[in-house]
Amino acid sequence: MKTGKFALVYPTGNFAALLFVLAAMWYAASSQNSPAIYLLLFGLTAVFLVSIPHTLLNLADVTIATESAKPAFAGQEVSLPVAIMNCSRATRRGIQLVLPTRGGERKHVDFIAAGKAARVTLRFPAKQRGEHRIGTLRLTSIYPLGFVRVLKKFAPSQTYLVYPKPSGDPRLPMHRARLPHSRPQTELGEGDDFAGVRAYVPGESQRHIDWRAVARGQPLITKQFAAEAEGSVHLDFSALRFHDAEQRLSQLAMWVIEAERARRPYSLRLPNTDIAPAVGEAHFHRCMRALSLFQGEEGPRP
Amino acid sequence: MRLSKSRSSRRTQQWKDTTIPRRPLLWLAAALLFTLPPMLGNLASWVAWFFLLALALKFWMEPRGYRLRSTILKLILACLMLGAIFLSYGTLKGIEPGVSLLAVLVSLKILEAHTAREFQMIVMMAWVLCLCGFLLSQDFAVAFCLFVASALLIAALVQFHRGSSPGAFWVPLVTTFKLLAQAAPVVVLLFLLFPRINTGLQLRIGDFHAAMTGFSDRLSPGGIATLANSSEIAFRAEFPDSRTGPAGPLYWRGVVMWRCEGMEWRGPYSPTSISDSSRRYPARDKAIRQRITIAPHGLRWMFALDRPFGIPSGAMLARGNYLYSVRPIRKPRRYEVLSSIEPIDKELDAYERRQALQLPASITPAVSELAASWATHDSEPRAIVKSALQFFRTQGFRYSVSPGEYNKNDLEEFLFHRRTGFCEHYAASFATLMRLAGIPARVVVGYLGGEYNDLGGFFLVRQADTHAWCEVWIPDHGWMRVDPTTAVAPDRAGLDLSSFLASRVASGEMATGRGALLTRLTRLALVNQIRSIWEALNYQWDTRVLGFDADVQDVFLTSLGLTKSGPLPLAMQVLIVIFVLLIIYAGWMQLRTRRRVDRIQALYERYCQKLARIGVRRDPCEGPVDFEKRATQSLPSASKYVRQITETYIALRYAPEPAVISVDKFAKEINAFTAHT
Repeated sequence: MKTGKFALVYPTGNFAALLFVLAAMWYAASSQNSPAIYLLLFGLTAVFLVSIPHTLLNLADVTIATESAKPAFAGQEVSLPVAIMNCSRATRRGIQLVLPTRGGERKHVDFIAAGKAARVTLRFPAKQRGEHRIGTLRLTSIYPLGFVRVLKKFAPSQTYLVYPKPSGDPRLPMHRARLPHSRPQTELGEGDDFAGVRAYVPGESQRHIDWRAVARGQPLITKQFAAEAEGSVHLDFSALRFHDAEQRLSQLAMWVIEAERARRPYSLRLPNTDIAPAVGEAHFHRCMRALSLFQGEEGPRP
Repeated sequence: MRLSKSRSSRRTQQWKDTTIPRRPLLWLAAALLFTLPPMLGNLASWVAWFFLLALALKFWMEPRGYRLRSTILKLILACLMLGAIFLSYGTLKGIEPGVSLLAVLVSLKILEAHTAREFQMIVMMAWVLCLCGFLLSQDFAVAFCLFVASALLIAALVQFHRGSSPGAFWVPLVTTFKLLAQAAPVVVLLFLLFPRINTGLQLRIGDFHAAMTGFSDRLSPGGIATLANSSEIAFRAEFPDSRTGPAGPLYWRGVVMWRCEGMEWRGPYSPTSISDSSRRYPARDKAIRQRITIAPHGLRWMFALDRPFGIPSGAMLARGNYLYSVRPIRKPRRYEVLSSIEPIDKELDAYERRQALQLPASITPAVSELAASWATHDSEPRAIVKSALQFFRTQGFRYSVSPGEYNKNDLEEFLFHRRTGFCEHYAASFATLMRLAGIPARVVVGYLGGEYNDLGGFFLVRQADTHAWCEVWIPDHGWMRVDPTTAVAPDRAGLDLSSFLASRVASGEMATGRGALLTRLTRLALVNQIRSIWEALNYQWDTRVLGFDADVQDVFLTSLGLTKSGPLPLAMQVLIVIFVLLIIYAGWMQLRTRRRVDRIQALYERYCQKLARIGVRRDPCEGPVDFEKRATQSLPSASKYVRQITETYIALRYAPEPAVISVDKFAKEINAFTAHT
């Protein structure tokens, strides 16, 4: 990574105010021929000048490491955990982390002790399904006086996934099972029979989350009701009647979530992609990944 | 102010939106307190009180989430303040109303500020307040406070950007001192060498007549005494031929007054130039050359020692042998002039004799009798002068800055009853008495003495050094200087006024009130020591800082030979030196804080960089052995070296017993690596 090696220094908005004050001082000093005002002027100028190397070095040996962001559904938020590491032997202060291409939220880190790291989580909206690059991260600092800003750019090569936004009919397709070994299935309704709990699958309806358990400090779990259907669900892209591919993907995502929630094995067929029936988190993410990377009829992006 | 608490919680939430953290605000408040002292004596007192009130209110309002919100209220308050300023000064122009306005605006800003941006704005405004403080006063005490305020402002900024970093409250001061210590050489460099370009732009402060300083063309009783406390600079004088100038008291001639009105004397309305024919000039080597830098005083007086004769351009020599500028002096002016100690005029022409003997009608008989008695005793002019001085010396006359009020006809009152006066009383009465005794006489107003500045090698003459003396015509000699004040206060001529007065305080002559307290306090050793340190600093401030103005800097730069190339190249050179200094600072700080890398690790990283340049990039999570495998695959030609280097690296870094291979050998291997690829 070549970026992050060189720091850029440029004036901040406050610098304009400083220039105005210095100009006023210079005008007063030269028109009054007053050494006292000159001393004030030069004092302020000198402190400003000396603060430049301080600001510049405030990011020396400070680097960042991005961790992998969890996949998010379109319309939700992506959380990107970033570790800002201070490898120097001095405390670094007043550091800000910005991701300008993704909303530009500024994260402030007031100080990082020598040899320590600070973790911040950047949050930005997941707009479109697919695999996206993180983009250029900017570390900036205006410590100690705030008249100049030092900037270091980092361009991590990592990417994050955005799953299609689940929408459409939540009822699983019942009569489309074409596989010969599939048995007739009962409707997965919102029945009264409590059928146990399992881990919450991101994206699914929050209606069945066991909030009491959450209140007790447990992770998100979903209560399951009704009888589990036995047969597997076959989800086929080309069998959907919608005209718009995105709409089809959204419907498929919805069904994947619902099938995973109901613990029913499901298979997914996209043009050029065929995923055999299974159930479980790995399978769920595999299907979702296929859906999010879908690149039209000609096939998924390599 | 809308300070009442709102009822609904939502509104309360909306009201409590202030975000200025407390600690930076404290530092800022401390800084603002230090900008107060110059305001106290110079502005209307309510301005300072309003300022203090705003600060105190802010600390009451801040935790409660109140602030000045309503725009209408802000406008009303601003208008009220504007009106109050107008009522206090009668004008809105000028420096005092201007500074008052700024102080009031800062106060209002403090009351309404609630964002980080506004905090920084107040900091910048506070710096402008510091500047205004210097416009009001440049005393050492004031300067001290203003520089403390400046440092506290830096601390406030540092604290602001530290955010919630842990540490005691004084930690930002450490950073501030570090910054100031590093800035000190830069300040010295800029102050000494950075060219001070005189823009010629005058800060027109108010009515110009108010800016007139020094004496006028009228010598009225009490006129000079009002200048006795003015530390304003009148002019600076250098003697290019002898550093410390001629021996003896320095009488700087300003204006010669011919017209006598008893205790009051006046100069000519429009001075006439005198011809050169009847004058004998001294040889050039006997003349005293002076280089004078005059501070703008709005009038036309120009000053020179004793009897000037080398007339600078833009000036003329007026009747009475004094310099008179063609134009009013409204900006600093520098000129060279020659002076003679010996009298220049050979004879007194009829017109001048008539002028020098003119007397007002209001002279009382007692005064005329006094003068006549000297003349009848001995008609020789020198003897008359002698007996007049004898009269002043022996008849219980006292020298005082505040002798009380006199009218222009109070000559008798002064000579026979009160017998207390300042130099102008003595000069006026003496000259009048001389004329009554038949000796042509005139009054000279100018300056006496001056403070020698060691650093700049010049005499600094202040308004407080204003003095009046007489000249009498002695037929075979010419105009002779007689200073009747020396008859009353003999030490006065040798000293400048302030040290003269100070010496009188020390000797207990004026030990009343403050003076008595001072003498009592001086008995305490510690107080004495602090006072002497303070005095020394004060002196340094006056001479080294206030004395080092553009003209002195010019002399200083010339003595260093730096003025040849002009101001712009010099400024560039100074900036380059500062730039180098900053690079040195940066390098030093970098050395102190940079990451310590193990040498073996650094060498290995360099090897990885070399490989990366040819396209074999190591993953951060790839082990050296895996990387070696990949590298040998993609670079079969270099496989031997890659293997060797990796083996050495592993041996050096991970071997359980101390490695037998030296690090230097490893370094050599890595340095050599480029050669074969």
